[in-house]
Amino acid sequence: MAGVDVVLQVLIWGLYAGCIYILLATGLNLIFGVMKVVNFAHGELLMLGAYITFTFYALSGWNPYVLLGASVPLLIIVGIIIERLCFRPILGTGKLNEIFISIGLIYIVQNAAAIVWTDEWRIIHSPYERITISVFGVNMPLDYLIIIITTALILIGLHLFLRRTRIGKAMRATSQNRNGAMLMGINVERMDMLSFGIGAGFAGAAGTLWVVSGQVFNPYMGSIPAIKAFAIVILGGLGSIPGAIIGGLVYGIAENFAIFTLGGAWKDAISFIILILVLIVRPTGLFGESAE
Amino acid sequence: MIDLNKTLGIGSKKGRLFGIIVLLILAVILPLIFGMNLFLLTILVLMVIFIIYASSWNFLTYTGQGSLGHAAFFGLGGYVSALIATASGLSPFITIFIGGGAAALVGLFIGVICVRLKEWFLAMVTFGFAIIIQTLIVSQFASISGGWDGIAAPRLVSTTIPYYQLIEYYSIVLIAVLIILLFWIILRSKIGLAFAAIRENEMEARAAGIDPVRYRLFAFLVSAYFSGVAGALEIHNLGYITPEIFGVDISFWPIIYSISGGLGTLAGPIVGTIVITVLWDGLRMLGITYARFVIIGVLLVMIIIFLPKGLISLPENVREFIEKRRKSS
Amino acid sequence: MKRELLLLCILCIGFALFAGCTDQKTATDELKIGVVASMTGPASTTGKDIWQSAVLAAEEINADGGVYVADLGKKVPIRLIQGDDESTREGGMKAVSRLITQDNVDLLVGGFSSAVVSAHQSIVAENKVPYIIGGGSSSAVSRRTDIDTSYMFFHRPNTEDSAEIIVLFIDRVMRPDINQKFGFSENRPLRLAVLYQDTSYGTGQRNAVHDYIKKYNLNITVVSEASFNMGESDFRTALTSIKSANPDAVYTVTFLNELIPLVQQGRRDVGMNTIFFAIEPNDDPDFYRGVGTYGEYMMIQSRFSPYAAPKETRDAHTAFVKNFEKRWGGFPGMMGVVTYETVYAGAEAVENAGSIDKAAIRDALDKLEIPEMIEVMKNGKIAFSEEFRESKFELYMAQLIWDQGAGETRPVIVWPDSLKEAGFILPDWYRPGQD
Repeated sequence: MAGVDVVLQVLIWGLYAGCIYILLATGLNLIFGVMKVVNFAHGELLMLGAYITFTFYALSGWNPYVLLGASVPLLIIVGIIIERLCFRPILGTGKLNEIFISIGLIYIVQNAAAIVWTDEWRIIHSPYERITISVFGVNMPLDYLIIIITTALILIGLHLFLRRTRIGKAMRATSQNRNGAMLMGINVERMDMLSFGIGAGFAGAAGTLWVVSGQVFNPYMGSIPAIKAFAIVILGGLGSIPGAIIGGLVYGIAENFAIFTLGGAWKDAISFIILILVLIVRPTGLFGESAE
Repeated sequence: MIDLNKTLGIGSKKGRLFGIIVLLILAVILPLIFGMNLFLLTILVLMVIFIIYASSWNFLTYTGQGSLGHAAFFGLGGYVSALIATASGLSPFITIFIGGGAAALVGLFIGVICVRLKEWFLAMVTFGFAIIIQTLIVSQFASISGGWDGIAAPRLVSTTIPYYQLIEYYSIVLIAVLIILLFWIILRSKIGLAFAAIRENEMEARAAGIDPVRYRLFAFLVSAYFSGVAGALEIHNLGYITPEIFGVDISFWPIIYSISGGLGTLAGPIVGTIVITVLWDGLRMLGITYARFVIIGVLLVMIIIFLPKGLISLPENVREFIEKRRKSS
Repeated sequence: MKRELLLLCILCIGFALFAGCTDQKTATDELKIGVVASMTGPASTTGKDIWQSAVLAAEEINADGGVYVADLGKKVPIRLIQGDDESTREGGMKAVSRLITQDNVDLLVGGFSSAVVSAHQSIVAENKVPYIIGGGSSSAVSRRTDIDTSYMFFHRPNTEDSAEIIVLFIDRVMRPDINQKFGFSENRPLRLAVLYQDTSYGTGQRNAVHDYIKKYNLNITVVSEASFNMGESDFRTALTSIKSANPDAVYTVTFLNELIPLVQQGRRDVGMNTIFFAIEPNDDPDFYRGVGTYGEYMMIQSRFSPYAAPKETRDAHTAFVKNFEKRWGGFPGMMGVVTYETVYAGAEAVENAGSIDKAAIRDALDKLEIPEMIEVMKNGKIAFSEEFRESKFELYMAQLIWDQGAGETRPVIVWPDSLKEAGFILPDWYRPGQD
């Protein structure tokens, strides 16, 4: 019964669902790598990306995929504002402060969104909603394929940016050794701003993709995906991109296994049980650097 | 050197004593002034319960730890106390402390995992535990916990006794005073000094022969225990418990209260709970809805940035500011 | 030092004053109704619906002169007072205690989430204020025995009632249709799968499905069961597991934010050519807009729909929807219509009691019998049962049929026969499960 095609099918869904998490997790990792800050309000940026897409779609009626061009730059600006106003003033005053300030941000962003857009459920329909194509003999909605390709392009773009450009190299240097980078004449504060901006932009892209894939959303939708992205990031090790991908895979399998055996109620809890088990054995995560 | 005054609160000894007395007198006479007003009592009871809860949460921060999932202990205390009181017929006044014990046991277990973790991991693990425990309550333990439907809990003071609401309120105030007194005694003892040493510099503390793991565990245990007691008190006041008690809002409120008042001080969570509750219910009366959350969020962010020692340091800061102004002019 | 203490004192006294100041003067020339609704928090969409519908009802009654109270010898207007429960247990406690003591309401209406309602029930019981609850659909709420619920009246079906009508429909209508169309033996049991939200609401219906199959001895086998967490958006694994059990129909217990992706993923991604059953809270314009073409031919259990009305109450339905649109814009929801009816029921009870004495209103509510208004009731009357003071609804099943003009599906009532507009259709693409 569980033929090869079913397994392949599940894999493709996992790949598509993983795209949102990978975008969120990569953004978080980027911010953490450079600033050593964890933004617990990252899911709220995803939500903002979704609403920006929704608003522009309602106003223009354009193809929602084109609106990546609106959600990403706007979220980069939002990210830079948040970094300058909230995180920069408390940098280095203690890790707990960063966590607590994110809680404040969650309250602000969620409810400001509820004031602006009301908290009713929203949905938009992709123009390709009804188109299904066959990939390797497996039927797959066209939207999922576009989402997977878009995510891949974004990740390749990031890779090229970090490897090939001056700024990208400076960011990597800052991430590896902040003080060293500073001595080399790199403006680390600008790197902070940039990494936070890009991280937020990725969340914005995830928001647009979330909306076009036919998901409903309201101002509180960001927390569940964000928590999953965190768990993936922590499991894989903060700052490690291959770790995030493996972490995502482990979660995908574990969650689905939990649905089959323990029941759907365990889907979220199982992620945390794995997280805790991993942290007991390796307190820095699977691929995390052991040093600060 | 470690300044004990900093650990305990602010102001001079005389000033603190005066403040405590004023607060206690107000706590006693407020319900009487307005002739046992039910609304005032409801707000005050919930406020005092959350003072206990926020103070217990804050107890963790003395050792430099934090938690995003204290609802796990709050809820466990409530469930265990409600179940035991219903099954055995024991007075809730006894079962709340058993409920706290159950929360402390789980707290010890979580603490063993958490004490070695970095802050971000600690935050995620504690957050996750609240979800895991909620899942257990609604699935594996559903037959005794009532699952999502929840279960009824006996009232702290039976409704057949005259003035039961007033008695309930004063009992909760008394329990709160005793708990905070106990915290004060602990913090004044050698344990308090060890806490401060660990928080300031773990390496130095180790060199001085203090085992940080043991003290952190102790802090976790105490914090979980009294969070459980607070949860049990709330449940015996509401008369019903459902798994919603493990919600994120229940985990976040003590953080908001403690930060606004002042982290790592005894007075902080008390002042924070009072100020935020008044602000919260005041804004509601003005008919402000979502903007209330935005206001609380902005307040929290501003306090973390501009008033890292919380509202209790506000008078001091204002005085310093005025003095600086005077000098410059 | 003194300054900070002064600050503290001012703060506390200010707090006390503002708590005290809001004490309302007890005016006897109006009927005060407290509306318990979630104006903030996750349930606020429903909360707004409750409040707006209550306002609509009160304005209509007041435009007619108000409520006649024999004791006062005149008609008095209704004044509504909002109690925002913030979608939390603590918020509900504060809101209800304020309505009772500060605002001295004569009657309470509203209440939505079972968890929130159960937390403030004891305050209501102790203060003996009549409370007509339109939500809290778990029977654990309406059938509590640890407190005195004699002042609480429940104008909503219990969670279990939805399950009862759905399994009856499946056994009486769908099963014979399938057996006939596909040439199965008449005794072939229908294979049902249940996919439910892991909450009090979902588990309650899951259990009720089993109970009613047993109680009526129906020829239905539950072949697969899966649950999901509230707010879930990815149902593909659960649906794959269900599909592999070969069901003839899938019973879902969801809210609309879950149902929209569920149906889309089931029909498109997993490729299930089956009939999905949905329950009443989803009967909302947002659902029809969101589900699009994938909703075609699925079934929804309802008692108030934006787009369908049983002929018995069609005029009242149309008028209510039109007036709501005129007053507030947009559509009223199921909690809205219930609240609208409860305000009328409360006003009627006060008139019958001839007094705004709370015990008298309670007794009048006990004996209340008014003709059904918008939702169709059992025996055509709104009346509260003797034992638990619950009103009995006539629920119905509707099928979603594509409406070219609207560009969306629209519900058509197909069962029970007394309300039916058209027959149930098994679409051409439908495939039954294999044994």
